Amino acid sequence: MAHDPLLTYRTLVTHFTDFLTVAIHTILHERNIYPRTSFLSARKYNYAVRQSRHPKVCEWINDAIAAVETELLKSAVDRVAVVIYTKDLKPTERYMFDVSRFPAVDPTDLDTRLERRGENGDPVPIVPLADMDEQFRATMGKLTGCRGVLKPLPEGCTFTVAIELKSEGQPPVGHPQPWMPVQPELSETSGEKHTRNTVHPVRAVAAGELVFESWIEQAVDAT
Amino acid sequence: MAQDYTEWLAINVLNEQQLVSYRSLSRALKIHSNLAKQMLYDFHRKQNTKKPRAVHATYLITGTKRKEIPNDGTHSQREGDDTVMQSSPPLPSSSAPKPDEHDEEPIAVQTVMLVKEENVLQAKAKFESITGTHIYSLQAKGLGDLQTLTECNRKIAADYASEDPLEVWKQYGTIQNPKVKRRTQRRQPPPPRAPMVKEAVAKATPAAPTTKPTTLKKESSKDSQDSKLASKPSSAKATPEPAKKPPTTKRQGSDIFKSFAKGKSKAKAAQESQESAGSTPKTAPEDEPMASFSDEDDADEGDVDVVEDVPKVVDGKSKKEREAELQAMMEHEDEVMADAAEVASEQAEGDVNEGAIDKPESQAAEEPKETVQVENGRRRGRRRVMKKKTVKDEDGYLITKEEAAWESFSEYEPAPKKIKVPPTTSMNKSTTAAAGKKGAKPGQGNIMSFFSKK
Repeated sequence: MAHDPLLTYRTLVTHFTDFLTVAIHTILHERNIYPRTSFLSARKYNYAVRQSRHPKVCEWINDAIAAVETELLKSAVDRVAVVIYTKDLKPTERYMFDVSRFPAVDPTDLDTRLERRGENGDPVPIVPLADMDEQFRATMGKLTGCRGVLKPLPEGCTFTVAIELKSEGQPPVGHPQPWMPVQPELSETSGEKHTRNTVHPVRAVAAGELVFESWIEQAVDAT
Repeated sequence: MAQDYTEWLAINVLNEQQLVSYRSLSRALKIHSNLAKQMLYDFHRKQNTKKPRAVHATYLITGTKRKEIPNDGTHSQREGDDTVMQSSPPLPSSSAPKPDEHDEEPIAVQTVMLVKEENVLQAKAKFESITGTHIYSLQAKGLGDLQTLTECNRKIAADYASEDPLEVWKQYGTIQNPKVKRRTQRRQPPPPRAPMVKEAVAKATPAAPTTKPTTLKKESSKDSQDSKLASKPSSAKATPEPAKKPPTTKRQGSDIFKSFAKGKSKAKAAQESQESAGSTPKTAPEDEPMASFSDEDDADEGDVDVVEDVPKVVDGKSKKEREAELQAMMEHEDEVMADAAEVASEQAEGDVNEGAIDKPESQAAEEPKETVQVENGRRRGRRRVMKKKTVKDEDGYLITKEEAAWESFSEYEPAPKKIKVPPTTSMNKSTTAAAGKKGAKPGQGNIMSFFSKK
């Protein structure tokens, strides 16, 4: 894994996007979005994970992750969500990854070494990223175990990836446009829906500078 | 002791919601595996009587499976998500439909099946006779994917790696072969040869998919390449040994990558030097790889095949520079370089007699490098200068070698030392402007001084 001297914001984002890719494949497998037989067993972070074999699925996921990475590199992302929709396009579940605690880095500093300084300006030793693998493993374990926790999904569900941006950034519009602006539906900002969600915590990962939380929101009134 | 395991299991299975297999329990409590299995069963039963479906279990069933139609097997497998591990090939009846099945002897197949508790009855129905059943693991919530159970074993291997299995097998009840003996490795691993390693690293990092030929062979190939390439721009020379060509063609591909590693400054420098002088003067037989790179820059003009991997290879350039620096320092210790030195020195000797044009130019070129910078009136600290020297081989090959030489200047406007070169020579050299242009700043200074005189 990464060695501390080479830790830059870009490597941090790369670790996170790798993890996100595996997480999306796992979610697809667990929630039966695609038939389980279309997944093969793979190994990541020294852990057994499932990876989809369908080329279009993989391609879509890779493109989505690339778009998320672009936004992450601008330090504009508040949260990343993998949303599961029913056949009627009603969101039933959201797998949230709160990345607001990522360091906010200038675009010019993407490849400079990250160093944490204490209150008085002295450099604080960084927590080694060695146990980042372990934390990812734990998160994977939790994600795979979600099948027993969540209600089974109805037939014909689909999924997508959404990001919630920080308020001070610019929306990613322009040509070509990878993101589609949508109304906040299951998000916490819409007050009335808030009480209808059940939240299952997954994991708060803190590996050096890579700090994010993850949880699962499930719409209670999903039919 | 009896209460310990209940507490331990309560903490780990219910509170922390971990996956606990009988093996993890036996390692954690230092008990025999069979005892651990019984504890798991007991805990499972108790918790479920208190609160149904509080704890889920996976079972391991061992036995002989019933002879079944293949459809059945696959169907139930998908349903129950079972992992069927068979210790011998499938039953003959399921493979080829033979009319006289009764003639074949059924091969006894022992099946070990890992099932989730909800599928146990179904799985048991598949067995003709069951030799053993026990709980494999417990978890608080339903198990998603059976393969997550591998995590338990990985954790055991990680946490208890310090325990010697030959000692603790009795305690844990691991299956043991009484005739097994530990083999002691008497021989120490060979100490890594640092120079070789660095050479290999430098060559590998330009991201070319090189197989790892010996460094010697590479250099010999580069020799031939140098001669071949150098002969191209300067008028026709004897063709290089055809014997060396075939093995080098493949490496030439990778070397062309490395030529990009030299960086664009080098490429420009090499090109212009080519046009003007036909040879760029350098020294250092030790630095053959560097030399070959510069030559292959020239080759790139001709070949124009490879346009890939430039960014990766640019990194290799900086590494190569560092590499060259280290090599220059380690020239005495490096065997490989010594061989190359021998080869190069032979060539140098041959050169003295023949390459008359090249030699004085080379010497002239070395010094004006320094003077040119002086004329600019700039201050220079220590810097490393790349010098090229073209020498002619006995066989008429032009071999350009490049050396990184350290020069330290602490000069103000008038240079205190190295003014031994008369201004005429410097004029001479500014015509071959590209030589100085090699290092970026010195090169620019060179040209600027040329113009300023006018």
